[in-house]
Amino acid sequence: MSRFNDEVRSYVGRSSEVIKACDPVEKGAVRRYAQAIMDDDPSYGVEGIEPGGASIAPPLFPAFMFRRPLNTPDPLTERALDPDFDGLSLAINTGLPDLPLHGMALLNGGAEIEFYRHARHGEWVTQQSRYSDIYERQSSKGPMIIVVTETMYRNTDGDLLLCVRQINIRR
Amino acid sequence: MKPELPYFEDLALGESPPDLIVGPLTTAHLMRWSSSTENWHKIHYDRPFSIEHDKLPDLLIHGSFKQQFLFRHLMGWLGANGWVWKVNFQFRAMNKVGETIRVWGRITELERKADYGLAHLEIGIENEAGLQSTPGSAVVAVRYKDGPPIAYPFVPPVS
Repeated sequence: MSRFNDEVRSYVGRSSEVIKACDPVEKGAVRRYAQAIMDDDPSYGVEGIEPGGASIAPPLFPAFMFRRPLNTPDPLTERALDPDFDGLSLAINTGLPDLPLHGMALLNGGAEIEFYRHARHGEWVTQQSRYSDIYERQSSKGPMIIVVTETMYRNTDGDLLLCVRQINIRR
Repeated sequence: MKPELPYFEDLALGESPPDLIVGPLTTAHLMRWSSSTENWHKIHYDRPFSIEHDKLPDLLIHGSFKQQFLFRHLMGWLGANGWVWKVNFQFRAMNKVGETIRVWGRITELERKADYGLAHLEIGIENEAGLQSTPGSAVVAVRYKDGPPIAYPFVPPVS
């Protein structure tokens, strides 16, 4: 039976607060990220494309800055003996209310990304998310609910860095 | 020798940027990506959990990792002559640890705007077996030969 109903649909348009990443854009974090994606662009180190030669981060870096701050519960320790713990509870927190779809699997369906500006080393980044669309689609495995979450990443001057429309599949 | 960066006038429908080949992507590559983003989802580094608990065929290459290469591919092609404005993609199939992936693109539409041209592309990621796991599309801005550099931060076209 489909779980898609008016209550689920009523979440469309709901927004999170503006959330500030727990750390600024750190030189070492940028280096590790750039090395992980095997991109040795010198702009990520000492030379920059920005006026004044500021060093920058790879384009999608801001989307991966929203991590668990110090002095918050550690799920890896709390659930260390849980054989069903998949580690995913540490996923990036959008600040949005949970949808009433408990028990349904969550699959990453893809994304639509618009890129405007690199984050600079030392700058702080914020995110704000909203449910931009929720709809049902039939698949060969039965009905599935498509949840589109739009997140805007900005620096603290309000300049837009990235807009990511994440498409998640619930079934 | 580095290839010359393309200008809008150099582009033609149906042409492709040079492929980006990445891999083989080992457990170390996957763990390095997990660590750099603090993503502790076990299906990327805990093989018994991935296979026995989640019934997956092996450790999986992260979707978040693959999308980095879609950007790298286009940025490497355009360099300072362009800007990767929009990238859309769907995760349609799994890529497993040990695979080498080919990131590809093909120009499907060319549009002249006032300050730069827009190239629309079909993009994707293919493994050695020919599996297309990540189909998508992109829109990039490309400098004219006699035009100004692409403004930074990027300013989208008016219409």
